[in-house]
Order: sequence, then C-alpha cells, then structure tokens
Amino acid sequence: MKDAAITLHINGEEHKLNVAVNRTLLEVLRDQLGMTETKYGCGTGECGACTVLVDDRAINSCLALAATMDGKRITTAAGFAHFGELNHIQQAFNDEAAIQCGYCTPGMIVKTASLLAKNPDPTEHEIRHALEGNICRCTGYEKIVKAVQKAARTAPGRTVKADAACQEVAQ
Amino acid sequence: MNAETIVGTSAQRVDVKDKATGQALYAADIQLPGMLYGKVVRCWEHAHARVVRLDLSQAAKSPGVVKVLGPADVTRNKYNSSVMDLMVSAQLHDMLGDIDDQDIFTTHVKYQGDAICGIIAKSEEAAERAAAKVIVEYEPLPVYLTAEASKQPDAVQFTPQKPGNRAFQLPEAMFPGNALGGGDVDAAMQDADIVVEDVFYVPKQKQCQMEPHAYIAKLDNAGRLTCWTSSQMPKLVQAKLAKLFELPMSRVKINATVIGGGFGARLGMISEPQACAMAMAVPGHPVKLQTLREEDWAISPSRHPGKYWMKIGLRKDGTPLACDARFENYKGAYYLDASGTAFTAGAWLGGMYKFPALRYKGESYFTNQGLTGAFRGYGNPQTNFALEQLIDRACAQVGADPVEWRKKWHKGVGDDGWCPGVTYPSCALDECLDRGAAAIDWAAKRRKYANQTGTKRRGVGCAVMNHTSGAMPMLLEHTVCTVKINEDATAEVVFACSDMGQGSHTALKQIAAETLGFPFGDVQLANPGSDAGFDIGAHASRTIYVGGAAVKAACEDAKRQLFARASEALQVPADQLDIRDKKIFAKSDPARSIDVESITRAGVYHFIDPMTGKPEGAPGQIQGYVSFFAPHNSPPFGASFAEVEVDTETGEVRVLELVNAHDIGRAINPAAVEGQLEGGIQQGLGFVLSEETYYDSQGRMLNNSFTDYKMFGPSDMPKIKTILVENADPVGPFGAKSVGESGLVSPVGAVANAIYHALGIQFMEAPITPEKVLKGINEKGLGGARERARAC
Repeated sequence: MKDAAITLHINGEEHKLNVAVNRTLLEVLRDQLGMTETKYGCGTGECGACTVLVDDRAINSCLALAATMDGKRITTAAGFAHFGELNHIQQAFNDEAAIQCGYCTPGMIVKTASLLAKNPDPTEHEIRHALEGNICRCTGYEKIVKAVQKAARTAPGRTVKADAACQEVAQ
Repeated sequence: MNAETIVGTSAQRVDVKDKATGQALYAADIQLPGMLYGKVVRCWEHAHARVVRLDLSQAAKSPGVVKVLGPADVTRNKYNSSVMDLMVSAQLHDMLGDIDDQDIFTTHVKYQGDAICGIIAKSEEAAERAAAKVIVEYEPLPVYLTAEASKQPDAVQFTPQKPGNRAFQLPEAMFPGNALGGGDVDAAMQDADIVVEDVFYVPKQKQCQMEPHAYIAKLDNAGRLTCWTSSQMPKLVQAKLAKLFELPMSRVKINATVIGGGFGARLGMISEPQACAMAMAVPGHPVKLQTLREEDWAISPSRHPGKYWMKIGLRKDGTPLACDARFENYKGAYYLDASGTAFTAGAWLGGMYKFPALRYKGESYFTNQGLTGAFRGYGNPQTNFALEQLIDRACAQVGADPVEWRKKWHKGVGDDGWCPGVTYPSCALDECLDRGAAAIDWAAKRRKYANQTGTKRRGVGCAVMNHTSGAMPMLLEHTVCTVKINEDATAEVVFACSDMGQGSHTALKQIAAETLGFPFGDVQLANPGSDAGFDIGAHASRTIYVGGAAVKAACEDAKRQLFARASEALQVPADQLDIRDKKIFAKSDPARSIDVESITRAGVYHFIDPMTGKPEGAPGQIQGYVSFFAPHNSPPFGASFAEVEVDTETGEVRVLELVNAHDIGRAINPAAVEGQLEGGIQQGLGFVLSEETYYDSQGRMLNNSFTDYKMFGPSDMPKIKTILVENADPVGPFGAKSVGESGLVSPVGAVANAIYHALGIQFMEAPITPEKVLKGINEKGLGGARERARAC
C-alpha cells in the first residue's frame, strides 16, 4: 500500500507523517502516534467514540482517511486538558457525575466542544439532538445533558467566544 | 442522622481525570514492545456446520505472518467460558450438570462467528490479509433457532452430554418435580376465582458495552502466562485459564485493565482462551487480540431469549393464591450460564409476591443463535415482563388499583427472599411505591387516561421488582481484602473486584476512608488483578454489599491494630478510643491523643534507641486483612412508574416520563447510585420497546450494528426521575444494599403496563415495536388506524 506524506496539527503540535493511504485518521492517531484517547467503538461512524475536531468541526475519525487530512488542525479530548488541568467541559462532566465507564467520554467531550462553539447557549432539546451520534450505554444521558448545560454556563469568556463563533458561522 | 462524613457524599470519582482526558488505558490502548497481533478466523457463512476441510498453507505464507494455528495446534481441552462451576460446590456442580463444551478452535460450528483458527502476524493488517487466505470447507447442518426446533427427536445433537439438546432443567434432586416453589399449585388454582394466563416472548438483548473486547497475552521467559483483560472477574479467569492450559495458578496472571462497560458481557471469559493460546505459540512476544464491533456482537453472550408461560390465580378480593410458570429459554450454542438464568428467573418470581403456592420450571435448550450468558438483571427483566403484566390484568379483573395491590401483596421483612430460608432483612418497597406514585401523579392520571378515544392515547403504569445483593447462598460469596497502612498514615486497599465503570472503586474508597477515620484523599484503592487475594468478581450486584463489607472488615482489622498500639501509648483501653482526622483520642478526654502517623512510622522505621538499648514504639507495619464470606443477602427493591403516549396510527410508543424509586438501603455515593438507576432505565426501555438481535432463517445476525439495533438515544429518552429510598439495611455496610442491576428491571413492566392503561391491550412479545402495537390495535379494532385503513 502506498504512503502519503502529510502534516497534521494535533492538539497544537505539528506532526509530519507518512501514512498508508488506506489508514483512517483513527488508526493513525491510535496506532501510529499512540494517541489512544480517541476510542474505537464501531469503526462505522455509528457510535461517536472516535469523535475529534477537524478545524473545529466534529467528525468520526474512523470514517476519515488520514491522507485526506493534510494540513488540518486536529483536536482530541486530551487536547482540552493542560498538564492535568481539565477544561470547563471536562470539569463539568466530572462535576455532574456524567462519566461512568468513560469509553464514550472523550468523544462526548469533543462533540460538546463543537456544539458549544456553534451554539453557546443550547436548549436541552438542542443538546440531545447534538449528541445523537454519540452513544453512551452507562448513563441514560441524564447526567451528560446536565454536564453539557453546566459546560455552557461555565465557558470562559463565553459571550466573546460566542460572538466570534457566530461570525465564523455567518461567514 | 448519620455520623459519617465521607460515606453518603457524592465524592469525586477516582478515575475521572483519566477518563475525561482519554488517558485511562483500556486493553486496546496498551502497547508493549515486540507485540504481535492476533486474528481469530471465524465462520460467518453458517450458524451450524461441520468443518470438512481446513487449509492454512496459503495463510501461513502471507506476508507478515508469524504463525497460524488450527484446532490441532492448541490444547484440545474443552472449557466453559462461564465461571458458574467455580462458584458452586462439587456436589451442586454435579447436580446442576455443568459441562465444558467449548473449544478454542472448533470443527463443529454451532453459531455464526464460532472460532475456526487463528493467525499471528506482525501487524493487524497482515493478520487480516492472511485470514482472508484461510480455506475452509463446510458441511452445512440444519439450523435451530428456537427450543421448539432443537428439541425435536431427529435434531442434530449439540453435545452427547445433553440428550435432546436440553442444556439444563432445574434438577429433580434439588427441586422436586423439576420445579422451584412450594404449596399445591393445582389445588390452589382450583380455588381461584380469577385465573390469568399467557405465553410471553422475551428478546435477545445485547449488552452493547461501548468498549469492544480486546486482550493482550504473553508467555514470559519464566513460563508465566499473563493476560491483560477487561474481565469483570480477574481471579476466576485466572483459575479458568490455569485449568484450560493445565498450568499451576502461580503461572497464570491476569492484569485487570480499565473496563469500558460490562453489563454482564465480561462475566467470565470471552476470547481470553484464544488470546492465550496464541501467546503460548510465540513465547516471549505479547499478542494483542482486538475484536471488531460486529465480531464482539457475535462472540459475547447476550440476554437469554425465550418463551415464558405464566398463570396466576387470585380470589375475587385480590388475594393471590397461586403462580405457575415455565421459562424455556433459547440458550444459544454453548452451555455457559445455562443453569444460572433458568434458575434466577424463577427466583425473582418467588421473591416478589406472597403466593402461597408457586411452581416455576426453568429449562435451557441449545439453539444456533449466538451465545447467551450474563446480562444485567440476569433473568429478572424476563420475569418482570410476564409477571407484572399479568398482575395488572388480574388487578383490572378484580377492580384493584395496581399500586395498592402491590403494596398489599409484595413480600417484605421476614419473608423468604429469592432463596427459601434467606429472609429479607429490610424492605422499603411501600415507600418506593408511595413516592413514585406521587412523583408521576398516579391517581390523577389513572383517572384522566381511563377512557380515551383520540389518535394519541396516554397511559401510566407501574411495576415492582426485587433483586439480589451478591449471590449468597446459591453461589460462593468470598472476597479477600488487604489494607496496608503506610508509614505516613495513608492506606492502600488491595482488592480484586473490578470497577466496570459504575464507580464502585470510588464508593469502596469512601467506605475505607470512613472506616479507618482517614481523609478520602489518603486512601488508595488498587485492583492488581489476580495478584490480589481471592475474589469472585463484579457480578450479582455484589461489589458494594459484599465487597464493601470486606473492605470495611479489613479496615476495621487495621484500625483494631492501630487502636491496640494507641491504647498502649495512651494507657487508655482500646474500646474507649476513637479516631478522627488521623488522630486517635480517648472518648472521655479528647486531649489525650496520639497521631496515627507516630504509630505507623514507629512500626515501619523501628529502631533501637542506642542510648537506652530499648526499642521505640511497637514494631511492624500494620496491615488489615479479611477473607470475607457474606453472612446474608439483603435484596434491594424497586418501583418504576412510566407515562407513555401511544400513537394509534403509527404504533409508536413514546415514553414521556419514567420514575425509578429504589430501596437501596443507603447510598454510599448518591450521584453514582443515581447513575446506576438512570443508566438502567435506558437499558430497560430498550428491552421492552426496541432492542433485539434478529437472525435470518439460517441463523445469521441481521442487526449486529448500532444503526440496525435500536438503543434509546439522547433524544429518545424520557424525562427521568430517580428516587433513592434510604432505609438502612441491618446487614449491608453502612446500611447499603445493591443497585447495580436493579434499575433496568421494573421499567420493563412499568412501560408495558402503561401501554395497557393507554390502549387496554397487553403485548406478549418484547420488544413492543410499532409493528406489534399496530397489529394489536388492528386486532382489537381500536382507534383510527383500522378505520382509516378501511376508508382507503
């Protein structure tokens, strides 16, 4: 299988890589880079455990070929924390006891980030709709929804960030 | 008012940072030097066939392949991936008729996904490419999807050890007439004014834990076989693997990894035998074996589906007289857990209501559907679906309110629980029913929805349940716990019971800290897998009730030793001492005190004073220890209330609200307890409304994916209310009973009964899908659908 030379900007760091053209972004993150915070749940885009941000858009990394990601900015759940300091979304998942087995959690947190970037003050209905592609089998979603609500309330510099995000969407 | 300061709080989970950042290491996340990759070649074409030719030669030559293994290249010892045989006495084992009928690689395919051979390669991709080059020829055999089919006299026998393909029935020697219960059921039924009876079908529900099964195994140079696995029960898997590979237990080590959800799927073994067989073929190299989701679906056991016949008799004043039932489950391909669920379904039945006469028969028949085994609830949702619907039908006939009838006739304190002779030490089911009814506005809604005629009709229903806290007295209930007190007065609790994600390790740490009198942050809890002392694992809702009691006992042992030394130092009798914030003091004079650290430090760094030649303090590191056997069983109770809206044109059932009010004794960590009840609702709603693995006529799965197998998603979930009824149990640690499984059980009956209230129709087959609802509506001539169909 041929390789492709690509550059990925993952969690603020540049990675120059040769990737087999048939490898998914999930496989490259996990197997080639050892970034196992992004989870394999189904491999077919049905469960959301492998959700990452690609230039602020949440995607299922199991469905994206790594070779098509050249030059992209990738953010995983680990990218939100800084030396063990959780960001406001992770902290909200902690505070609301929204984490049980934890396998869906990285994907849930990434999906929450993408939701709040677009819609900083989502209704409960909007939150539930946004999380439809992320399966959790432990919580019944009750505490996850509460965590997303708390994350929205506690987002740092929320109004400023929200305006910027809205402008970005408008453009 | 409770005096505790740590128990009863929603202490922060111990694993939250690891999980929020994704740093928690599940088995698939672990990379080891020199690692090779395994792939099990499975039969996907047939659910029942004999292998007539297996040619591995082309696969062996495939690039990157290290070894290929067929049935002849691994141990021919058979095994049983369940651990039931280890948890019963030899006498009971013989009585139950447990057998070992599984092969690492088989030549008789009994379900779609059965293992044929294995590939070990330098990469996962190389292993997959080689797998495609394996040549297998099959002789197809007749496929049996139901007990009715496989019990036919001319059916192919799954194993010579179980004639007629009956894997299990309640043994005559233990259950006269092969039935659980007592009293004269036939005579009591004769006396009944009202008899209700039906045949129910319960579905093959899948656990769908988010982490697919993955393993690493390695045979090291010292001849020790190590397996990294997310099994719920590391110690019993160690024993199982040692037996299978004929190794002393000291040469089998299980490393317990973080578990991405269990729900029963990881009870016992799944692919540990294949992973270890591969590792033994390449000594010195770790072999990683990961399963795809669709593969996981096939090879891990599901809930037991089957036919459940039930009949109950009452006097016209509502007095229950008799219950007669028979659950014939479709066991799937192998024996594992054939005895367990067939028994427990009847046990929960017997534990619920005061029927003076009860006769329950449980049988398991081999079929060519995939495996069945443990699934959260373990026979209980099946019983709930049948029993609770019949109770509501009977209530309608005698004119009783379903809540009031249940309050009057459920079993309670002093009555036999699910096992005769083991009585309920506590029961707050009345309070569950009262508070649940108030929360859903039961009385008003029962009246309001009584006579509806519109297209969309609402209903409210309730159901109750009893479960278990550990498996005493049926199964072994043994846990070893060691508490090591460090010289700086911090503690390490060592314990081999896994946390599957429910937060049990956090709650156990709370119990340890509370008992020791240490701050929460000064206690560590470690699960080193099989290197810890004996434990039977996380199952039967036992981790807090039994494991917590063991942790408490081990901590009390450590505390007793601390107090003995403090007593010596303070010259105060030990029974007059207390501990707070790591300071031991005389109850009568708190100023007379000693820091725990001065005791522990002197015990570890025990010097002889060179000036006096005398030792300083008492010698020795303090360790608390217990080899704990549960003295009793304190089952939890629960009541669920559901409000539904049924669309009579589409058959769709929307659950608007679900209230789970549970008698859990005491919540060690309330947020975690709520989490169990909330998550249970999602799985219970799936059982009753949407979840079933379907097979085609040849036994091939039709919906082994998250798109085609419908679980309740975030937008499908109703408004949820959980009510923790705290009525301290006299036996459980700090009054706690279990909560791990119970939350999913009674939502099943509550939803079915709410549909009954809305439509006046009961549905005998779960899940109650829109197709079945429409069919029921049309048969009954209700509502708009039929009229509209005619008009068209």
